[in-house]
Amino acid sequence: MRKLSTIILSLLVISSLLLAACAPAAPAPAPAAAPAEATEAAPAEATEAPAEEAAAEATEAPAEEAAAPSGDVIVATPGQAVKMVLMPKFLGILVFDQANQGAQEAHAELGNTDELQFLGPTPENSVAGQIEIVTNATTQGVQAIMISNNAGDQIAPAAQAARDAGMTVVTWDSPIPSAEGEQLFVAQVDFAETGTVMADMARSILGEDGGKFAVLSASPDAANQNAWIASLQETLTDPAYANLELLDIVYGNDQSEDSYNQALALIDKYPDMELIMAPTSVGIVAAAKAMQDEGLCDTVKVSGLGLPAEMVEYTLNGCAPEFALWSFVDLGYTTYYAAYLLATGAMQGAEGETFEAGRMGTYTIEKDPTRDAGLRIVMGPFTVYNADNVEAASK
Amino acid sequence: MRPDWSIFRRWEGLLLILLILIVGYNALSTPGYLTVGNWVNLFQLSIEKIIVALIMTFIIINAEIDLSVASVMGFSACMMGFLFAGGMPMEWAIAGGLLAGFVAGLFNSFWIGIVGLPSLVVTLAGLIGYRGLAYVLLEDRSIGEFPAWFDRLGQQPLIGPFPLALIVFFVLLIFAIIVLQYSGFGRYVYVIGNSKDVARYSGVRVRRTKMILFVVSSTVAALAGILYAARLGAVRGDMALGFELDIITMVLLGGVSIFGGTGTMWGVLLSVLIILNLRNGMGLANFSGHVQTGVIGVLLILSVLVPNLAGTVQAALKRRRARTVEVVAAE
Repeated sequence: MRKLSTIILSLLVISSLLLAACAPAAPAPAPAAAPAEATEAAPAEATEAPAEEAAAEATEAPAEEAAAPSGDVIVATPGQAVKMVLMPKFLGILVFDQANQGAQEAHAELGNTDELQFLGPTPENSVAGQIEIVTNATTQGVQAIMISNNAGDQIAPAAQAARDAGMTVVTWDSPIPSAEGEQLFVAQVDFAETGTVMADMARSILGEDGGKFAVLSASPDAANQNAWIASLQETLTDPAYANLELLDIVYGNDQSEDSYNQALALIDKYPDMELIMAPTSVGIVAAAKAMQDEGLCDTVKVSGLGLPAEMVEYTLNGCAPEFALWSFVDLGYTTYYAAYLLATGAMQGAEGETFEAGRMGTYTIEKDPTRDAGLRIVMGPFTVYNADNVEAASK
Repeated sequence: MRPDWSIFRRWEGLLLILLILIVGYNALSTPGYLTVGNWVNLFQLSIEKIIVALIMTFIIINAEIDLSVASVMGFSACMMGFLFAGGMPMEWAIAGGLLAGFVAGLFNSFWIGIVGLPSLVVTLAGLIGYRGLAYVLLEDRSIGEFPAWFDRLGQQPLIGPFPLALIVFFVLLIFAIIVLQYSGFGRYVYVIGNSKDVARYSGVRVRRTKMILFVVSSTVAALAGILYAARLGAVRGDMALGFELDIITMVLLGGVSIFGGTGTMWGVLLSVLIILNLRNGMGLANFSGHVQTGVIGVLLILSVLVPNLAGTVQAALKRRRARTVEVVAAE
């Protein structure tokens, strides 16, 4: 009797435990499964046949028109079913949510009948998490993944395995340094130009006499950050910038607290430092807050790449008089178009191909000058924000 | 004939039911789950943690804890990368990484075994110290470009569909089961975990056993760190950061008491399978990382709660029955 009641009790607890574990699971796979089945059943026939025709039309028809101005412009055929994943460096960063917003806009515009998932790791598990998501996507039969790489070349084996399984791999925001496993990188801006933009902002803040400054970056493996810093160092060799002196480069790993502490450490280490340049939307806010909290905004200024909505306060109170950025919404939108075109086979991902990315206009695939084996398109442009335009942009 | 249900009253029985339910649910809800490729991936994505979980089982049964394992993983891998970047041949760099882990283990066991400090304190210091050394070695660099054979060992199948790390895990698992469950050394581990004093008075060499465990723990962690480096194809200072908590979670969910003395390797194996399949299933169902961490946290709380709860209820039932008997007797 007692045995029996123990067994029943244990089973009850187990089932409640399972409910706890699986309850959220129940609704999630349902919508995931439903569209997949739906696309396999009815629209599969509907999309496949017209897709080929339409693709043929799309490439042939506009080819005649477009042939005159600039060769063949590849145009997307709406309504195809492509299962896609947009992966940020990690979740919980506003700019990545904005990129997702842009990608969802393109998703709706192109009438993709399959789903677009926004999947990212937790910040403390970024590298292993990104690899896990790419590996799982391969198992799930995802057709295109768009990666903002935070794992350096460590993600290359997983990306290559995805490519081998027939998946389209496009990077955005931050590429795979070796370009292994990556078809195309959608660069937000010309990485070589970033150095000039940062150096110009430094000169405009520090004035004619120049001064000493330090860089507060994200993680040491972030390919985009490293390329921008390299480009900044390159720019500084120009005699025009001779009076700017780069003291140090530190890393806050895109964590607010880390970045805040790194900014404070810089002040202690370099009493004659006049500017912190943070080419990361997390680092720049943390640095500006650190200077404000310490009451140092008059002596140490902050600049770099930041979001108007997060920076407006510091720009207006003079802590960060000038900073720059591009639109992450547009970046997500453009990336989606490139991945959709590659996954549907409309575009091959070869150097010299030109395609139309909806409202963003046309782009041509070119060699990436910052990476030997990589191909890229450059979105651009930079917008420089200061007290005059930051309020309008932050709304 | 009454069927023997006693296995389901043991923790391992509950884990087995849970595992079957999770596997069944995943198999029904996710196409592609029951493929060899996915099962290899499922192990491979956490392989370094589960290798270290095997030795952690010994340590926790022994009523100790090793918080420094993840830092030793990072330190050893960084040492290997540092030596390789300094121009040493890869084979020697790997040996150097393993040696670094071995020395870290000797250092831990000196303070625990000979000086007699609590392992919690010593390995907490190790957690901070070895991680610090890893950062000192590589600073903010990341070292990659290892020889192709090294990356291949970490990323490609070695025998059939199985990569090296998976084979290492299964070999170590069999070895660990034999040593813990069927050898004299294994019995010492349990006896010491139950009561250090009883063990000492019975002639068990408590110090020696503990010291062996901590040296092996760090050496296995070093091996796991190097396998991790091969899988990722690059090393950096924050490698394996925070892994110690995942590893300890696996062991505790496996029914090993944090106070030592109880638990089996079978339970830990089941718990590893549960966590891997749960993670894989949630990943394939596109759960965010935050939800995955939360669910595993809930599982751990319940794993501590359920056995205690069952015990309390059982005791209450017994008391009530006793009262009923008294009442009947009084009438």
